[in-house]
Amino acid sequence: MDPEEKHEGRDTVKIETARFGIVEVPNEKIIAMPHGLLGFQDKKRFCIFQHKEGSPFFWYQSLDDPALAFVITNPWLFKPDYHVDPASAVNAMGWEGEPDRLPLECHVIVTIPRGMPEKMTANLIGPIVLHTERREAVQIVLPDDTTYSHKYPLAKQAAA
Amino acid sequence: MLVLTRKSGEKITIGDDVVVKVLEIRGSQVKIGIEAPRGVAVHRSEIYDRIQEENLLAAGVEATDFEAAEELWTPRKNMKEETQ
Repeated sequence: MDPEEKHEGRDTVKIETARFGIVEVPNEKIIAMPHGLLGFQDKKRFCIFQHKEGSPFFWYQSLDDPALAFVITNPWLFKPDYHVDPASAVNAMGWEGEPDRLPLECHVIVTIPRGMPEKMTANLIGPIVLHTERREAVQIVLPDDTTYSHKYPLAKQAAA
Repeated sequence: MLVLTRKSGEKITIGDDVVVKVLEIRGSQVKIGIEAPRGVAVHRSEIYDRIQEENLLAAGVEATDFEAAEELWTPRKNMKEETQ
C-alpha cells in the first residue's frame, strides 16, 4: 500500500495524511530537508499547512510518512528577542550568499504532551531554518552556550 | 578512530580551520577550547540526543490535545508582561 502517488505532468504530490485526509501538494510548496530531522533522518520532504486562520500553529507535514506531522510556530510570537545565527544552517546546506541576507524563515517545533496540553513547550534550541526561495530546510542545533531551552513553556498561565 | 595523546596547552588541528586545544586537565575532567569558523556546528554530543528525543515527543500529537493547546495559547497576548 503506497499512500503516496506522484502525478506526472501535474506537478503535485498527493498523499493521504493521518490528519487532513488526502492532500495534494504542488511541487513548489514542497520543502526539501536533505538531512531530515534529528531522529527522522529518512524523512526528507515536508510541507507547511496553516491550521486555521489566526492560529499560532502550523503543521509541518511529512510527505514521506503520511502519519508524521509536527506542530510548529513562529518563535517571535512568544519570544520577541529570540535570535538564531543562520550561519550553521547556511553552512550545513551549502546555500550561496551572505547568511544574514538570505530569504530565511525560522520555525520552532511545539511539543504537546499526550493528555497535558497545558504542558506544551517549544524547542528553541533546535529550530527549523527554511530558505523560502529554494524551499529547502534544515534543523539546526544552537551553540552549547545558548541560554534558550528545548522545553520553553508556552502555557505558563495554566500552571498558576 | 585516531587516538592522540596531548598535554595541557597542546593543540590538534582538524582540516584547515578547526583547532582544538587542551586548556586544563583536572582530575577526570578536561577543559577543551575549540576554534572553528562561524557556521561550523560544535556541540557536546548529548545535545543532539536531547533534540532528537524532543522531536520524537513532538511527533505524537493527539488531535484533542492540539485543539486544547490552541485554546491555551490565545490568552497569551495579555500575559506576556506578567511572566517576563
